Amino acid sequence: MRTLVKNKQSNLAHKNLLTASLLAGLLSALSLPSMAFDFKDALKDAVQKEIGQKAEPITPAETPNSNASAVDAATKNNTTTSAEATQPAFNWKNPSKDEEIALGREIAGNLLGAAPLVKDAALQKYVNSVGRWVASQSERPDLPWRFGVIESDDLNAFAAPGGYIMLTKGLYRQLTNEAQLAGVLGHEIAHIVKKHQLKLLQKQQLLNAGAGFLSGKYAKDNDLISKAIGSGAEISARSLDKSAEYEADRLGLSYATRAGYEPYGLPDVLQALGHSSKNDDSVALLFKTHPHPDDRLSALGNAVGSRLDNIKDGKTLENRFYQLKN
Amino acid sequence: MIKNLKPLLIAILMLPMLHAGFSIAAETGSALKNDNLRAEPYTDAKVAGSFTRGESLEILKKQGAWLQVKTKKNTGWVRMLSVKRGTATTSNKTSGALALASGRAGTGQVVSTTGVRGLSEQDLKAAKFNETEIKTLESYTLSAEQGRQFANAGKLKTIAFANLKAGKGDSK
Repeated sequence: MRTLVKNKQSNLAHKNLLTASLLAGLLSALSLPSMAFDFKDALKDAVQKEIGQKAEPITPAETPNSNASAVDAATKNNTTTSAEATQPAFNWKNPSKDEEIALGREIAGNLLGAAPLVKDAALQKYVNSVGRWVASQSERPDLPWRFGVIESDDLNAFAAPGGYIMLTKGLYRQLTNEAQLAGVLGHEIAHIVKKHQLKLLQKQQLLNAGAGFLSGKYAKDNDLISKAIGSGAEISARSLDKSAEYEADRLGLSYATRAGYEPYGLPDVLQALGHSSKNDDSVALLFKTHPHPDDRLSALGNAVGSRLDNIKDGKTLENRFYQLKN
Repeated sequence: MIKNLKPLLIAILMLPMLHAGFSIAAETGSALKNDNLRAEPYTDAKVAGSFTRGESLEILKKQGAWLQVKTKKNTGWVRMLSVKRGTATTSNKTSGALALASGRAGTGQVVSTTGVRGLSEQDLKAAKFNETEIKTLESYTLSAEQGRQFANAGKLKTIAFANLKAGKGDSK
């Protein structure tokens, strides 16, 4: 089985990486005996380097065929979360596009367990249309992008690896035109294009593997997706680096602008979010996991500078903006 | 004397209400950063004053990427993204805030608050994988071509616009 071989290879790779970093650590500790040596930091650096170098080249074979097979594989293997034994092994060092999608499916499925889709096919179709068009302006137009509005009065949006994006009904209700929706979806699309969440998980997995290796308890099932993402949709409540959020704002605005929308859709939404109180439960999680909207606006303003001065024909399309039924 | 003033006073008080129906007049905001005011809505227009972060501004007009604002001392133009629009509110609802931000306040958008369903960290932690829902989500997946058709229907035209890079002094 290919997956088994892969698993072995990745275990080996982990060990190689760890041995190398361990050696490097020991060497530096020896040469600088007066300095306190933090093994965890050294490990972290090594992991960071690994991810930075190995995950960057975007999968060469981004064809529609491989999408279909990924979904098939995921469907077969993930009938329930408890079926860990049947889950394919996961190459954390250098996940393939199919693995990325399978991981995202698990995360998105868990999130949908907390808040199901709004039962309004026309709404979902509309959001997928806008999202698909914006995603086509990104650096990864060939992912199987899918979008959903979920039943929650919270104001939030989520992205999972491989092209899964969800926003709450509460956030959708705040929007008044299609350009704003495009901006919000653009931000989430950027998280997936830049593999922000995937990198967070990779880092954590490789660190876990390192800790396991050191204690001699590195278990094979650490390579399983369900082990990596923790309980339920917990991973969706975790913060990314602030810089990842600012980057997603910049790219989100860029994608929506390229798509022909009025560029101020995302800033509009940030303006609105800036008016909500920190004590408001509906934005509690959003505020916890993101920089304050005012800081995001300000950073976006610095990045924009004069770049939008000559962009005039962007569309807001409030006329066809889909109105919620309730 | 006081009696005579009363109707006048009422009339004066009602003026801004009447006005509000016609424009976004008297919208307030605050500065998100230290920046210059310009005499015209262009980057290289003459400097017409400056303001500091947190300073409150009165927003007079919007033109393209620019807002005409009034500070305590001067009036001039500033880029939209230098200004936080509206006054900070301590209310616990964001309802209508976006309508305000986009200059469409008072459209009568009603926000339902019944059956509030949150999505807290605890809710997320306790969540169980839902195969039916994920399959439904996947059933909505559109092709790039379908996206293009939707864009055409809305007369959306792609433009060349390179990805924004982090501003000077900001984290990447």
